Amino acid sequence: MSDQTLANTTQDPETNVTEPTKEKKKRKRPIGFYIAGSWLSIVVLAAIFGPLLPLPAWDESFYDYLGSRPGTSGHILGTTQDGYDMLAGLVNGAKISASVSFVAVLLGGSIGSFIGITSAYYRGKFDTIVTGVFNVMLSIPNLVLSLALLSVLAYSDADHPATTSRRVMVLMLSLTIVIIPILGRIARASTLQWSGREFVIASKSMGTRNFTIIRKHILPNVAPALLAIAFLAIGSVIIVEGSLSILGIGVPGGASWGSMLANGRGNIAFSPHEVYMPSLCIAFTVISSNWFGDYVRSKLDLREAKI
Amino acid sequence: MTTLLKLENLNVSFKTPRGLLKAVRDVTVELQAGESLGVVGESGSGKTVLSRATMGLLPGTAVRTGAIWYQGTDISQLPKDEVRNLWGTGMAMIFQDPMTALNPVRRIGSQVTESLTVRLGMDKKAARARAIELLKRVRIPDPEAMLRKFPYQLSGGMRQRIMIAIAVSCNPELLFADEPTTALDVTVQAQVLELLDELREEFNTAMILVTHDLGVVAGHTDKIAVMYAGDLVEYAPTKDLFANMKMPYTEALLKSIPRLETPTGTRLPVIEGRLPDPTKDEPGCAFANRCPYVQDKCRAEKPALVDGGNNHFYRCWFPIGGAK
Repeated sequence: MSDQTLANTTQDPETNVTEPTKEKKKRKRPIGFYIAGSWLSIVVLAAIFGPLLPLPAWDESFYDYLGSRPGTSGHILGTTQDGYDMLAGLVNGAKISASVSFVAVLLGGSIGSFIGITSAYYRGKFDTIVTGVFNVMLSIPNLVLSLALLSVLAYSDADHPATTSRRVMVLMLSLTIVIIPILGRIARASTLQWSGREFVIASKSMGTRNFTIIRKHILPNVAPALLAIAFLAIGSVIIVEGSLSILGIGVPGGASWGSMLANGRGNIAFSPHEVYMPSLCIAFTVISSNWFGDYVRSKLDLREAKI
Repeated sequence: MTTLLKLENLNVSFKTPRGLLKAVRDVTVELQAGESLGVVGESGSGKTVLSRATMGLLPGTAVRTGAIWYQGTDISQLPKDEVRNLWGTGMAMIFQDPMTALNPVRRIGSQVTESLTVRLGMDKKAARARAIELLKRVRIPDPEAMLRKFPYQLSGGMRQRIMIAIAVSCNPELLFADEPTTALDVTVQAQVLELLDELREEFNTAMILVTHDLGVVAGHTDKIAVMYAGDLVEYAPTKDLFANMKMPYTEALLKSIPRLETPTGTRLPVIEGRLPDPTKDEPGCAFANRCPYVQDKCRAEKPALVDGGNNHFYRCWFPIGGAK
C-alpha cells in the first residue's frame, strides 16, 4: 500500500500540471443541472420515442371520457373537454414543440453564425449590410415578425386549407428567420473580439488561409458563447410558438403545447388541467433551457477568467 | 552575400478621423541573407508597423507606398494570394506577447502542427514527429507531453519558445521578431535571444529584431536602424553605431537604460517630452523638442538622412562628435 502511494506521488507532479481540468470535472454540479437536465431529457425522449409508448391516440376523441380529471384509469392525466387524452397530447406536443424549436435554433443558428462570423471576419461593405439587415430584423418584435411570415407563407382560408405539416414547416422556417439575426449578432460580436487577437494574426502570418483560420481559431472560441445563447433561444422559440398558437396561426388542432393551450383556454373553468398542463410543460422547458444557457455562460466566464 | 530584403522609400499611413497618421516615413533599409537587423525606437516610433508592413499584415485602414524588394521581386505589388505564399515559408513573425499569440482553446500540438500540415502538406504523423523535433530544438522538456497541453498551462518563456518553434517550423528565410523578449523575465530574455541566434546560424535565417531596448540588439544584430516618429534617424552597422554614435536620440535611448553601477536613489534618466503628433507635418527635426543639443536650425528645417561614411547614416544637423 505504502509502496503504491509512493509510486503515485512520483507521478503526481506531471499529472498535476497537465490535468487540472480533471479535478474540476469531478466537482459537484449544482442541483439545477440535474433537474433541468432530466426535464430536458424527458422532453427529448418523449419527442423521439413518443409514438412507441402505449398511449391512446392523441388525436382521437374518447366520447366516454369528456373532461375527465387526471387520475382516470386509461387516461392518467385526464382528457380535455372534447375527450382528447392529455398525456398523449402532451407527448405528441413535445415532438412538435421540441422539433420546431430545435430545428429553428439549429438552422437559424448555423446560418446566423455563418453570416455573423464571415461578416465580422472580413468586415467591409458586406459587414455594413449584414449589420444593417440584422438591426432591422431585430427591431421587429419576434412575435410580430413570425406572425407576418406565417400569415404570408402559410396563408389558409376555407378554399385553401393549409395542412398541419405545411404549417409546421412554415413555422420552423419563420422561426428560423427570427433566430438568424439573434445568433448572428452574437456570432458577429464575438468574432470581432477574437479576430483581432494576436494568435489570429500569428496564424495568418504563417500563411494559413482565411477559411482555415475561421474554422480552427475563430469557431472554437466563438462556439461557447453561441451555445449559451442557443439554449436561451430555444426557450424563447417555444414561447413564440405557444403565443402564435394562441393567436390562432400556430400548429392547428392541439398538435403542439401552445396549440393545446389555445384549444383548452375556453374550458378553464370546467377542466383546468387542460390549460395548466401544457402551460407547465412550456414553463418547465423554457426555464430548463434558460438555466442551461446561464450555466454554459457561467462556465464560459470561468474559463475566460482563467486565461 | 545576396540581398534578401530591401525596403525602398517605404511609407505607411493610417486613415484616422483626425487625418492621415504617418507611422513610417520614407524608410530605406537593406538586409543580406543570414544577416540580422535591429530596429530600435520607443513606443509609437513605427518599428512594429515597419515590420508588419513589410510582411503585408496591416489592417485595411493602412496605406502603404514604396517598394519592398524580397529576393529581387517587389512584393508590395504582388496580389495578396502570392504574398501569402511567402508567409511562413519565406517570412515568418514571432510576436511580442506570447500570452496572446497562442489560441487559448487549442492544444499546443495542433497549433504547432497547423502550419506544417497547411503549408508544407505534411500528414498528421509526419507533422507530429516534426513538431516534437522542433520543440526539442527550442529546448522544451518532454515535448510529447507538451503537445497535449493548453497554452494557459505554460509559462511565458515556454510559450515564447513555442511561438519561435511555430515561426521557424517552415524554415523561413527571414524572421521578424517583434519585441520577442519584452513580455519575458530578464533571465528568460537572454535565453530566448541566444536561442534565436542559434537557430539563425543553423538555418542561415535573416532576422529583423524589433525592440525598444538597445541592450537587446547590441549583441545580437549586424546592423541597427533607429527609428523616431516614423523616421529612420540613424542606420549603421552595430559596432559602428555604438562606437560612433551620431544622433542625439540614439544617445538618449542608450542613456535611459537603467544601470547597476549608479548609486541607489538616483533618478532614472528619461527622455523628456513626448513624440510629436503623427497626424501633423511640422517643419524641422521631429526630435527637436526633446533634444538636449537643439539649435534654431533644428526647429526650422528637417534634416535629411546623410551618409557619414562606413555605411553610417544619420538624420541630424549637429551630430554628436562634430559634423561629418
